Amino acid sequence: MQLAVNIVVLTAIYALIACGYVLIYRVSRVLNLAHGELLMLSAYLLLWTASLFAGHPVAAIAAALGLSVAVGAMVYLFLLRKLTGEMALAAVLTTVALGVLLRGLTVIVWSAQQHYPAVPLGLANWAFALPGGARISLWAALLVATTLAVYASLFAFLRLGRWGMRMRAAGQNPLLAAQRGINLHAIYALAWSLSTLTGALAGMLIALDSGLGQTMAIIGLKAFPAALVGGLDSLAGALLGSFIVASAEVVLIHYVDPLLSEVIPFLVLIVVLMLRPWGLLGTREELDRV
Amino acid sequence: MTARAPGPLLPGPLLPAPLLPAPLLAVDKLEVVYQRAITALEGISLSVAAGQIVGILGSNGAGKSTLLRAISGFHGLDDARITDGSIHFEGQPIAHAAPHLSTRAGIVLVPERGKVFPNLTVAENLLVPVAARTGRAEQRRREGLIYDFFPRLAPLRQRTAGLLSGGERQMLAIAAGLVCQPKLLLVDELSLGLAPVVVADLLQRLLAIRSALSLTLVIVEQNAALTLGVIDHGYVLENGRIVLDGSAARLAEHPDVAEFYLGQSTSGHRRSYREVKQYRRNRRWYG
Amino acid sequence: MSRRPRASGYFRTNYGEDLSLLPTRLERLALLGVLVVLLALPLLASPFLIDLAAQVCLAVIGALALMLLTGYAGQVSLGHAGLLAAGAFTVGILFKEFKAPFFVTLPAAAAVGALLGVVFGLPSLRVRGLYLAVSTLALNFLVAYLGGEYEARRGFSTGIIVDPPALAGMAVTDAKAWYLILLAAAVATLLLCANLLRARSGRAWAAIRANETVAQTLGIGVASYKLLAFVISSALTAVAGALFAYYRGFVSVEAFSLFLSIQYVAMIIIGGMGSLAGAILGALFVTLFPYAIEASLGALVGASAYAGLLFAVNATTFGAVMILFLVLEPQGLIGLWRRLQTYFLLWPFRHRPVGGARR
Repeated sequence: MQLAVNIVVLTAIYALIACGYVLIYRVSRVLNLAHGELLMLSAYLLLWTASLFAGHPVAAIAAALGLSVAVGAMVYLFLLRKLTGEMALAAVLTTVALGVLLRGLTVIVWSAQQHYPAVPLGLANWAFALPGGARISLWAALLVATTLAVYASLFAFLRLGRWGMRMRAAGQNPLLAAQRGINLHAIYALAWSLSTLTGALAGMLIALDSGLGQTMAIIGLKAFPAALVGGLDSLAGALLGSFIVASAEVVLIHYVDPLLSEVIPFLVLIVVLMLRPWGLLGTREELDRV
Repeated sequence: MTARAPGPLLPGPLLPAPLLPAPLLAVDKLEVVYQRAITALEGISLSVAAGQIVGILGSNGAGKSTLLRAISGFHGLDDARITDGSIHFEGQPIAHAAPHLSTRAGIVLVPERGKVFPNLTVAENLLVPVAARTGRAEQRRREGLIYDFFPRLAPLRQRTAGLLSGGERQMLAIAAGLVCQPKLLLVDELSLGLAPVVVADLLQRLLAIRSALSLTLVIVEQNAALTLGVIDHGYVLENGRIVLDGSAARLAEHPDVAEFYLGQSTSGHRRSYREVKQYRRNRRWYG
Repeated sequence: MSRRPRASGYFRTNYGEDLSLLPTRLERLALLGVLVVLLALPLLASPFLIDLAAQVCLAVIGALALMLLTGYAGQVSLGHAGLLAAGAFTVGILFKEFKAPFFVTLPAAAAVGALLGVVFGLPSLRVRGLYLAVSTLALNFLVAYLGGEYEARRGFSTGIIVDPPALAGMAVTDAKAWYLILLAAAVATLLLCANLLRARSGRAWAAIRANETVAQTLGIGVASYKLLAFVISSALTAVAGALFAYYRGFVSVEAFSLFLSIQYVAMIIIGGMGSLAGAILGALFVTLFPYAIEASLGALVGASAYAGLLFAVNATTFGAVMILFLVLEPQGLIGLWRRLQTYFLLWPFRHRPVGGARR
């Protein structure tokens, strides 16, 4: 039973992070490999706002979320926007470089030791007992709830909202979208902001649950195969992929070897890509016109 | 530029030259260069008056699509630059404006390829474009109008756009363009890949729309016979330059247009291709 | 293969001349000069510089291999550190278990690399572009896991110590000798890569990189050439890893992190994609970069204050430099050099005439 709870929690973590990858890819065809570092930065920002608003958790969290959204928009507007027109690989490598930069920056500013933002905020972490002898911590449960809420709103937004439709349109045919009056830069900045927002939620909840350190970026990287397994332009796929990867990881760690935790997501990815090169629910990319 | 002759559908008096209203679109000595090395357009000057239908004729590679893209502001995406000349829309220079702003200003392009969003439904395709003048009533009125013009689209509202037939897709493309409330509609290669019956039908609808909404149309076509039947004024593009312009009637009578674009030989016997090619190379075109 | 800009007057009258590596006299003289300097280095430089030069040579081998795979064949690989680790661990394991000499371990490392190349090249037949890049990330983690497992199981938690290779009974320990060996290895790799690119394989890779569908239509065996690229590149990289193990005398899983993969990718980006000289320049730049940062930091602030943060500062500046290159000069250092050459060659014209938009 505890295994099942672990799977659910890990699925929620991966899913919340994975939707950030999907949002940016679906709208602008860019792989944001700095997502892990950006969500780590958001958690560090919470640390900072926690010291500013000590004892006022709502204000601190809200401020940190606001800052994260701003960071996401700025990353697009000042960095990625300069690369429009270059090949996609250049954009991806730029995000890789950004990730490296952010890692160094966070260590310089906050040092590499473990931090606990819950402490200055005065927030405690209890564990609930669940049927079957399993236990789940408060923040983990909140994380699961947040993931569900985020996915529900994203589905509604993209399917039904006017600007969600426009984001999907921009992802399919950016030239036509621009010709129909859609400001592409604004849409891309919006996608980046939403992505950093969801990432920030994930990072903060993880930090409140188990502390904050340089390893958080690795969790972001592990969620990447989860997004890919499902298909990088499908939100439902991200959910499915997260579940598959999380299940494989929890089960194999428990029964085989704990050291495998970093490898498993990627092995699952390779297996899935060999069977379905565009992920389980991804749209098949059109053939190039020759 | 010559005074406007009455086209087949437009009634109306000839206005004496000094009272001619300022053109809606004025292109002056436009030069567009691809990748800094290939001149696609050179010395293009044309003007489009409000309410006119202007046709741009030419064979493949003449630069017609480039011209439309430059007017609507989307040349930059192909690494093309406007290196000389100017484009004025309603008196404002738009040559270097951001693309979506020229759409908001009222210039809408119906492109040759990539006309619709393939994974969105027809209804979503019509909701996505950004209208210049918002307001629920206005938008609803326009939506109703669009379904009046294109009744074929009404039962297809929930169909994914990528699954439509060619003619339906072109209808959707024009309809989506109309949602942007254009003043000037640029249509690139309407007839490409469509059956003649479908094309004729589309053209009739386009003309009806134009009268109802007082649009100005610029049509780019390879099918000269079709185009000369509907336009008021036409320009012939050859290798990036305008070689001929005039009213539809004048163009249809011009022997070179008749020969090269309409397939009607004046001398009575068929020329061999070699003769034609050299003739075209050597001859200078004068309007 | 990208051609460097040349002034007019260089004519090629037969295929041999067209394919030659150093067609002009200026190039031949320049190469001679460079060789003289490189060979004279052990006599003139301090031990620190010789060590630095040896490191650069090692990096050059890996960079050339990656340039072959990513820059020419167009298959993006983010798993380079995994291959280096594979080569190093092969040496370490064979040494510890069997006391194998270097003429066994080096080919074994190449074989292991080739095998990994096949395994991780197979996805490239189904998967393209960015999806492929991500699946190569798995290589890093897989080899790290296997290496870590070995270290844990056999009790070498701090790493494996490897004796230097013995040549005719003498152990090679002299730094200068090592430098010359590594230099020779780098030159050999360069020649191998240049020849592969001159031959049919090079043209096939260029076609595959440009447009895979068209290449297939033209009858190029896309699958076999892709695998060939992976195999050769991986074998070379594994040998580089093996040499690294011998040079340092030490193998440990911490030395081969994801950051190392990123550094190699940075080498080919900063150097300039699609150019062997670019790989060399990139390797030089990235290897010397941390030392430059350390030196400037010490000069600026005083070494002690930032000692603990050196790696972080390194990472920050490295990321910043990589971003600058990607945004401002995507063609890398070679691009800058070529722009300079083109400026002087084409003056007073600004741009090349029509005939291929080679940016």
